[in-house]
Amino acid sequence: MSSDVKPTETLDVRGEVCPYPDVKTQKKVKKMKSGEILEVILDYPLSAERIPRSVEKMGHEILKTEKTGTGEWRILIKIK
Amino acid sequence: MTDTSLMLAGLVVGIIFGFVLQRGRFCMNSAFRDIVLMKEYTLLKAVAMAIVVQMIGFHLMATMGYIQLYPKTFYWGAMIFGGFIFGIGMVLAAGCASGTTYRVGEGMVGSFVALLGFMIGGLVTKGGALKDLTLYLQPTEGALKAITTENAGPYVGNANLTLANVFGLDPWILVVIIAGVVLAVLVWKRGGEETKAEGTLYEKIFKTGWNWWITGIIVGIIGIIAFYTFQNYALGISGGWFGFLNALITGELPRLGSGMLNWFTFLVIGVVIGAAVAAVIAGEFKFRAPDAKRLLQQFVGGVLMGIGAVVGTACNIGHILSGVPQLALSSILGGAFIILGCWVAAYIMFMRG
Repeated sequence: MSSDVKPTETLDVRGEVCPYPDVKTQKKVKKMKSGEILEVILDYPLSAERIPRSVEKMGHEILKTEKTGTGEWRILIKIK
Repeated sequence: MTDTSLMLAGLVVGIIFGFVLQRGRFCMNSAFRDIVLMKEYTLLKAVAMAIVVQMIGFHLMATMGYIQLYPKTFYWGAMIFGGFIFGIGMVLAAGCASGTTYRVGEGMVGSFVALLGFMIGGLVTKGGALKDLTLYLQPTEGALKAITTENAGPYVGNANLTLANVFGLDPWILVVIIAGVVLAVLVWKRGGEETKAEGTLYEKIFKTGWNWWITGIIVGIIGIIAFYTFQNYALGISGGWFGFLNALITGELPRLGSGMLNWFTFLVIGVVIGAAVAAVIAGEFKFRAPDAKRLLQQFVGGVLMGIGAVVGTACNIGHILSGVPQLALSSILGGAFIILGCWVAAYIMFMRG
């Protein structure tokens, strides 16, 4: 499933603390072009729930949120 | 209760509290910061729900004679300064007192470092190099001294100010108005932010994060149980950690006779255990650390929180979660400045440019 979409860019924020995963994702999203795909890899539980909500509010599309391992998540965002 | 049973009760309440904090991601730093930073209100709604549940619960129990309310002393200068410093500190530390504590149980090394700073800052301000700051802002005489009342009103076990007794009102009038307004707003603004409800009940409880209203109601109920078991106060985090480090350094057990530090110290140890259990079951426990710069930032934040919690007489839990529901004027002022400090720090750190 995860191989069907190829991310344009990857943001690895593992280890980062509240709210840096969210802040860095939002900054990255704003810089990217329409139609591009951002892959975010993170290990902070609250951000794994909060990033999809806030990014959707910004009008972008969440293609996928998946738990990839113990305490690790991967979020795929399609820029509007 | 005997000392042993009180310690055990603290531990059990702490374990349940820690489990719920982890499942609900209940952190006031995120709750207040995210309003300005991301226009996110989910955790704020959980906090508001917990406060309302306790406001009703505390006053019901007090009316039935099971407890007496113990609003904290109103040192206005201490509340303003301590609250503001605490608020700045929790943004740097990436978690409030309870948020930092439960994240230690998730394996977050940065929160552990923040906790060390928090305990050190607290003890330094309580009886160490900064104790004069505490004495200056909490004096027995002079302009900054505590303001108390001669008519504490019904249900209040000390001479401290509440929103009710300062105006000579029956507390229930305020409880009904405040709870009514907050609940109406929560119901009106309820939608759209719940965790997607799929899977079995087991998965909803143990695997996915909880909806804000479930977290809020359960945190509120735990606070009510805590007040009933401990009698002197409801939930608190800072006193427990300061007592813990103090016991380690001095070799003296926390005051056994009063039961005071025993209860809180075992409560915070319980929170770490409960959060760890919740994180392991959910597959979210992982030792992880940010880079050196961030660790140092979290340590400094922890120290500021420790200073603020001692000067301001409580952390976000003691003031906002436990004090505001008692309508304590000290906690309302202290809590307001915790939020203000949080916003100022969040603006400077994340929102400029």
